[in-house]
Amino acid sequence: MEKNKKLPVAKIALCMVLLALPFLFTAVGFQYGVLVCCFAFLYIIAVSGLDIDFGYCGQISMGHAAFFAIGAYGSVMLHQYFHIPIIFTMVIATVLAAAVGAVIAYPASKLVFHFLSLATIAFGEIVYSLLLNSPKGVTGNAVGMFTDSINLLGFSLSSNESFYYFGLACTAIFLMAKWLMVNSKVGRAWVAIRENPHAAGGMGINVTKYKVMAFAVSAFYTGFAGAMYAHLVRYIGPDTFTQKQSVMFVTMMLFGGTGSILGPIVGAVLVFSITEGLRMFEQYQMLIYGALLLVVIVALPGGVYGEMKKLAGKLLQKGKGGEKSAA
Amino acid sequence: MLLQILVSGFVLGCVYGLIALGYSLIYKSSGLMNFVQGDVLTLGAFLGYTFYSLLGLPYWLSLICTVLTAFVFGLFMEKFVIRKLLRKSVLAIYIVLATIAIQYILQNAIQAIWSTKMLNYPQIFPVPSVSVAGIMVQSESIFCIVMSFVCMAGLQFFMKYTRFGTAMRAAAMDAKAAQACGINTSLSTGISWGIAAGMAALAGILLGPIYGVFIMLGSTIGRKGFAGAIMGGYGNMYGAIVGGILLGLVETLVAGYLSSTYKDMIAYALLLLFLFVKPTGIFNERAITE
Repeated sequence: MEKNKKLPVAKIALCMVLLALPFLFTAVGFQYGVLVCCFAFLYIIAVSGLDIDFGYCGQISMGHAAFFAIGAYGSVMLHQYFHIPIIFTMVIATVLAAAVGAVIAYPASKLVFHFLSLATIAFGEIVYSLLLNSPKGVTGNAVGMFTDSINLLGFSLSSNESFYYFGLACTAIFLMAKWLMVNSKVGRAWVAIRENPHAAGGMGINVTKYKVMAFAVSAFYTGFAGAMYAHLVRYIGPDTFTQKQSVMFVTMMLFGGTGSILGPIVGAVLVFSITEGLRMFEQYQMLIYGALLLVVIVALPGGVYGEMKKLAGKLLQKGKGGEKSAA
Repeated sequence: MLLQILVSGFVLGCVYGLIALGYSLIYKSSGLMNFVQGDVLTLGAFLGYTFYSLLGLPYWLSLICTVLTAFVFGLFMEKFVIRKLLRKSVLAIYIVLATIAIQYILQNAIQAIWSTKMLNYPQIFPVPSVSVAGIMVQSESIFCIVMSFVCMAGLQFFMKYTRFGTAMRAAAMDAKAAQACGINTSLSTGISWGIAAGMAALAGILLGPIYGVFIMLGSTIGRKGFAGAIMGGYGNMYGAIVGGILLGLVETLVAGYLSSTYKDMIAYALLLLFLFVKPTGIFNERAITE
């Protein structure tokens, strides 16, 4: 009973803080923080999507930058060449990313772990070289493309503060959808496939169908994040969508912890903050990034959130054990 | 024109073959995937340049020094990172990511030690080019092809006819049974990572005089080398060589006759095609399936 009473208070407090954050940043004179939050939101969406694919369904993807690119370029190109209002182009491009994801996932669902990562890398590279050398230069090739900010029912989200609230709303919707999905029949099927695909098949789960579904859903998430990125930065170039970006998504996911709602949030926020914080060491960015990755892999195999949960579990058990021995 | 293209395709193909051979060796001995190969190639090219051009050692000696350094690098990488992770029995994705992390560190370290500028080897052979069947071929290209074949044949001989090679094959086939027979499986896995790195470095020092030495020399070659390994049948030694050479030829032919913009895409398209349609490759290697 008490727990039920307590929880909403914490949740409401969190919501209040999140809503007030831009004002807080402005009050302290740290305007840049708002932009960092905007980026954090879109990375949270992208990494949550990747987590559906890997954390729940057990399929690795080292080429999610491709879906990020399809979302971003799709939205920008639809707006530029067909003059569709931006919010609709974002939705269309996201659906497109999911469709491409499904097409790739169908043959890829048969591949075992290592070869799935190779296939997704190859797919990412193909998309990247298409961006760089597109037919008739529709993607602007190496120069990239400039675009406008989102126009939502007449309100232009050109300021970082307005984008912050848009990002917050989108993140909330996407996380809610993820929570609903993973707690449904579909989510249970995914977990069953992750644990043992053969056993899952034996239980009557259509393994291929659910694998394709997980991949498409995760492409949907990442595609939408890409579209958000395009209209936040208002410029896209092929350099954003390289193999490095895919590895960054995977790092964020593993850093935070897989197979949970909170893990990807923790990972996206932490890794993005660390890379932003180390901007001044640009020359050694890759070195630091690689070292960070290695440390996480060796020291924190469950991710930050996963290890914290383990630690909390241990402490709780110790506490209980203590009570018992005292009794 | 065609002959010229075939020769340069063969040079590139031999390099892919050496890289793919390393992938197959590592996959056979430990069931793992190594993303560092390409950057070890870069390292090899830079090391070779340092030994040969800066320290003034003879070419053959700098070649041996480079390969030995890379061998030690591969051995240490297996001993201090991969084996540690394997002992913890982490998910396979973490090991793949660990090799990617090492790749980043290596790339940045090379950039910090040498420069971001492109370096050129001084001339190695007294005769810059040789006439073969009516066309002029760079002597370094011929040397690259010959050395690659010597290396591949040497590896075959080592694996087939030496005591240690037999032990390594046994360890790859069934680690537990090999251990029961008294084979040091940990050492044999380490050696195979070392050999793979040594071959990549050899490819680097052979390719350096032809392509020039720069930081990104190896990373694309490393990634495309996977296509060669898959085409031949991942884990198959002959497959790696045949697949690598085939990939080099196809790529240069496409670049020469169709369009050079899509030459990178061809390798990845072939990789996907083979994975989706014939994952066992040309040599029907079964290692790829569960």
